Amino acid sequence: MHVISRLIAACAALAVFSSLPALAEATLDVVKKRGQLVCGVNGELPGFSLLNAMKEWEGLDVDYCRAVAAAVLGDATKVKFVPLTADRRFDALAAGEVDILARNSTGTLTRAAGGKVRFVTPNYYDGQAFVVSKKTDITQASSLRGGMICVLKGTTHVFNMDNWFGVRQLHVLPVTFETPDKMYKAFFGSRCLAVTQDATALASTMVRSGRAGDYRMLPEIISKEPLGPYVRSGDEQWLDVARWTHYAMLEAEEYNIRRNNVDDKRRGHEPLVRRLLGVEPGNGKVLGLDESWAYSVIAQVGNYSEIYERNVGMASPLKFARGINALWSKGGLMYPLPLR
Amino acid sequence: MYLRKSGFLVAAALALLAVPAAAQNKSNLDVVKQRGQVICGVNTGLGGFSMADSQGKWKGLDIDMCSAVAAAVLGDATKIKAVPLSAQQRFTALQSGEIDILVRNSTITLQRDGGLGIQYTGVNFYDGQGFMVAKKSGVKELKELGGATICVAQGTTHEANMAGYFRSRNLQIKPVVYESQDVMYDAFFGGRCDAMTQDSSALASALATRNKGDDYMVLPELISKEPLGPFVRRGDDQWAAVVRWSLYAMLEAEEKGVTQANVDEQLKSTEPLVQNLLGVKEGNGKALGLDEKWAYNIIKQVGNYSESFERNVGQGSPLKLQRGLNALWNKGGLMYPLPLR
Repeated sequence: MHVISRLIAACAALAVFSSLPALAEATLDVVKKRGQLVCGVNGELPGFSLLNAMKEWEGLDVDYCRAVAAAVLGDATKVKFVPLTADRRFDALAAGEVDILARNSTGTLTRAAGGKVRFVTPNYYDGQAFVVSKKTDITQASSLRGGMICVLKGTTHVFNMDNWFGVRQLHVLPVTFETPDKMYKAFFGSRCLAVTQDATALASTMVRSGRAGDYRMLPEIISKEPLGPYVRSGDEQWLDVARWTHYAMLEAEEYNIRRNNVDDKRRGHEPLVRRLLGVEPGNGKVLGLDESWAYSVIAQVGNYSEIYERNVGMASPLKFARGINALWSKGGLMYPLPLR
Repeated sequence: MYLRKSGFLVAAALALLAVPAAAQNKSNLDVVKQRGQVICGVNTGLGGFSMADSQGKWKGLDIDMCSAVAAAVLGDATKIKAVPLSAQQRFTALQSGEIDILVRNSTITLQRDGGLGIQYTGVNFYDGQGFMVAKKSGVKELKELGGATICVAQGTTHEANMAGYFRSRNLQIKPVVYESQDVMYDAFFGGRCDAMTQDSSALASALATRNKGDDYMVLPELISKEPLGPFVRRGDDQWAAVVRWSLYAMLEAEEKGVTQANVDEQLKSTEPLVQNLLGVKEGNGKALGLDEKWAYNIIKQVGNYSESFERNVGQGSPLKLQRGLNALWNKGGLMYPLPLR
């Protein structure tokens, strides 16, 4: 009787977990067949995703997309980048216009639960901040009361700002914009007292504008903004690929495996390193990928520290410290779940 | 034997039913609401995590996770059924639908998350694999265990971790493998092995519940990352979200200073993120398919994460574990609730 009831339960369980993803073809198969990953990105955000002067894409999110392409296709160059506005990004993902969204997007409950999209994992821990002109004598956010604040439409920023000032029984006047370009143009044209966005976005825009010296970032970080990729709901195989690609880059940093030593490490004896690099098989099969998937990621794109430093860290104009984005063993929050 | 057989049959059933009935794509959330009870697979007895007391009432950090989901879904934290499972039984029990959630101090790994028809829903305890030795052995470091006999439980990640660790250091060890944790403890404390390996929290729990703190000690070195957390079946995003955000709600409550004692007062908070959390401002409940009071019920009936931690494994418990990695992100730990908005 136990065996029979288990059998029945198993059938019911199967119906539940196979009927949902069956609605559409698995993204992993689509990407493999196409031979190219289509990645939704910001496109206007230095350090995260931007076309440089040589018409090459660069940034932390861009490198994440390349890492997924390296994992799935063995070739980090096989990516098509599709710039999306904040308003359109989730619709574009849900409609299948892009395979994955890597567009400095915050993971929140109402976005990630019960909807058409699913948050993968944070690849950058950020928070919302304010920038003002140095011509003002404002040094703290509460002094912005009554002022006009330039803010992006369709993001969590308006909400957070209302919250933060509301609690302090202050209010500000939000002026909303469709795109960062329009918003910063208005701000640099003195349309607003302050501009608000995630700290990283503010800093990178100031650097890009060449006017960083004229502006000041206020010290308050008013929100948790864990930024990371999203995928469509109901396709857990693809979610796994997206998630474990990020963890592979973190795990590589943890074991000091870099672009320039990954071949040596492949010949080493450390069991977890051999597992990560596919010398010991298993991880690839579970993910539906070649066993050298993580090797390809590291050899072609690098570990997390490498992509961090060249895009937003000390080797970049942004000069962001690692802060809470350091590895867990070095005071940060980045903790790769075990790749075994 | 019986387990292996039914496991095979389940696998056969899964293989045969390539085309499932299309109508049956009901989320486990609906099943639980209809049944009026959350069925959780738990450890057969791990002090601080899941253990039945003398009255048969289950207690522990993992039990609280289960109770929190019951409070969120059914408005009543007592509506749980704990199903004790061995390490080998646990994933089959989840796959087959015998339980709704597996919350049994289980390490989240790539091969489990991707390969067993299940998915993890967050980390409720950051742990690591450690070793216990008798104080009279004089052993202080792992490298002194070369040639030692080591008790280890079957069907866990510990056996492979240990083998890899010692092999890569060219040290020989002799593993003695046990099917059940209790049998392993009996054997170890009976002098069968030179050392015993398990997650460090479990070792601390064994020391406390068996009153062996005077004669035995846990070595400080950990040989692995062992992020423990609840698992649910794959493909049921709605149910996964309910479990995931129940954990985050407990963490967010701690971050915002909302406790079991002050939650009613906090209903009047003017802080919008607290209003979101407690359902004063609606939206989160609807997104999850729950009553807007879901998180209020968790905090009122179970408490925030800090309260659950301290009474089960922390300073209010025999284990006396420090928060360490399990502190909030803004207090030096890794616990970071994604925003509940």
